[in-house]
Amino acid sequence: MKLLSSIRRQRSLLNCAPISARQLADRPMRLAISRADSSAEFIDQQNFDRAVARLVRLIPIPAESAEWFSGKNLGPTSKRSWKETLRNPAVLAISIAVAVIAGVFVFNFVSHLNDFPGSAPARKLLGVAASTRPLMLDPVNAEAGTLSDLFFMKHGLEHYDVPEEFADFGTIGCRVFEDDESRRIAQIWISEKRMQFFLFPAERDSKTGAVLRFSGWRYVHQEGWTGAVAEHSGVCFMAAIRGGDKDLEPYLAKPKE
Amino acid sequence: MLGDSRKTQDVFHATLREAAVRAARGELPSEPFWLFRDARWRCLEATKSDLQPESVEMDEHDVASDAESQIQRLDPMQLAIWISAAPDPQRSALALFYLDEFDYQEILDIAELKVSELSRCLAKARRQLQAWLDSKFPQPSKV
Repeated sequence: MKLLSSIRRQRSLLNCAPISARQLADRPMRLAISRADSSAEFIDQQNFDRAVARLVRLIPIPAESAEWFSGKNLGPTSKRSWKETLRNPAVLAISIAVAVIAGVFVFNFVSHLNDFPGSAPARKLLGVAASTRPLMLDPVNAEAGTLSDLFFMKHGLEHYDVPEEFADFGTIGCRVFEDDESRRIAQIWISEKRMQFFLFPAERDSKTGAVLRFSGWRYVHQEGWTGAVAEHSGVCFMAAIRGGDKDLEPYLAKPKE
Repeated sequence: MLGDSRKTQDVFHATLREAAVRAARGELPSEPFWLFRDARWRCLEATKSDLQPESVEMDEHDVASDAESQIQRLDPMQLAIWISAAPDPQRSALALFYLDEFDYQEILDIAELKVSELSRCLAKARRQLQAWLDSKFPQPSKV
């Protein structure tokens, strides 16, 4: 009985079998077609249906009605609400991408907002400060202000002077090295709060070679370290300390700019 | 479905007008085939006052293997009139099925039929159309 019912249902489906492959068939229809695919009766039916469908396409449509279908846009497309538009995966992906790009742009803009000539090498030197150990420096027990002569006499470095604000600090060691751009850097280790001083050439205009000057103290930050930088006679001085601006402010005579 | 270009025109415009009005009011149904169902009912309404097909037993023949060549000799308008003369729901089933734009489930939805009903309509129509073709273009072997 069940078999008979199944055969009857398949027969019913075959009678409604799609004329062309454009009409997607569901699973029961596909099953019924696959079983009857090679039968002469079904082939005749399909040929019959295709021929009738071809003829139906030739039935003339009234001219006035046909005009409606001549244009590509039959009517205004439904306007999507902004919620639907937002849910569109393409719009969502583009929005996220734009937000990320905007975020990176804003981050770069803010981080370079306080840039000054010499801020890039100063940041690099903060990285050097973080990785330097006292053993790497030549031991020197003196006042920081007196090391200018040492740098001049021993290394030929002019104007590598420690500013007055930091001249009285006792030193543990110092060294002179070249960075990756062959700039000669003087590094001084101070006993107070494990502070380090750096003296390095100020940035110069690439066309004229003139020193790019700036006034007062400027702050740079890198990896938990803060540096206060000042320029004098074409040489930058940076006092570096692990911490924030507040840790350096008490040492600076002039107000922060 | 109507076999009459003037009535077709009227139904077409009435359907579009109704759709435009409903759209303007924001009352468009969410179901996908309401426009086609609406058009079908308008077609049925339009033919209510016409001469109705007599309920006579039409000849029926099995679909022939060379039916394709017979159909090719048929004028499209003759076929349109033959379909429009069929009683409903056979007429709706034929019109929707041979448009070749809807799958069978969509036809069931638009014409409000069951699979068995659609199947019977189509099978019967094929056999009747074949009989008509045989009478119109008799095949030498069948004479």
